[in-house]
Amino acid sequence: MNRSIDKLLLNPIRLKIISTLIGVSECDFNYLKKITESTQGNLSIQLKKLKEHDYINIEKKFENNYPKTICSITKKGKLKFEEFFETILTYRNNTSKH
Amino acid sequence: MKTKEEQIEIISSVINSTKENLKPLSVNFIFWGILIVIMSFIHFSFPQFIQYTKYSSLLFWTILPTLGMIYTVVYNIKIRKVVGYETYLNRVIKIIWGIFNISWLVIIVMSLNGGNNPVPEILFLLSTTLITTGIIIKFKPIVIGGTLLMLFTVYINFNPNINFFMVNIIGVSLGMLVPGISLYFSKVNE
Repeated sequence: MNRSIDKLLLNPIRLKIISTLIGVSECDFNYLKKITESTQGNLSIQLKKLKEHDYINIEKKFENNYPKTICSITKKGKLKFEEFFETILTYRNNTSKH
Repeated sequence: MKTKEEQIEIISSVINSTKENLKPLSVNFIFWGILIVIMSFIHFSFPQFIQYTKYSSLLFWTILPTLGMIYTVVYNIKIRKVVGYETYLNRVIKIIWGIFNISWLVIIVMSLNGGNNPVPEILFLLSTTLITTGIIIKFKPIVIGGTLLMLFTVYINFNPNINFFMVNIIGVSLGMLVPGISLYFSKVNE
């Protein structure tokens, strides 16, 4: 089977974000920053891209006068992650056969 | 661009880093176990003080647990902030115990209205919630504790003259305190 790979998830930071969100109900910006080991600015850009493609939900709120960003994965995001994972497994299996 | 192996490595390492942490749940069990045992002991030891008026006993068993609920809600929110994420398991447990809290309040109000002792109903509700929690987190001591508590509730039903405070102390100790301590030191949290 020859599937095209989702280019949005080829970026390691975006892949880390989606891999984190697939396992949790929701998580905050600081946790994602720690997991992705990226800068605040870069993480914001990657989150925005994922949000634009409807892979994630972003909820912004204030807590003790500080802004707080909460992220969660959407149904489309889950589906795209599953497809991505299956595709890379297929690629890897095909490569190891040759 | 990363290779396929590297991408798989990224996914597995990220998923593994987001662990289930059941220690806060065990702290909740220990807190409630101790609180209810102390309250039952106080009521058992000083009935003339707790049952001074028609409503003093009801106030004692409503105000203190409500304060306990507020404390545990604040504690759980703090833990959630420190951890930075909420797993699906944590969410399910939160919903189950949220429903327990609402049901507990409804039972108290209904028993006040009917003039009944709410202890058997509350213990039965607690036992079913404990069994459900234990099955969901796959932790046998909580399932066993909940089952023992349910057996106690059945025993109360057939022996209505039994001292309810002693039943409370033994039932809650076996159903919450011991399983809570067991969960706190369990390898599940390592």
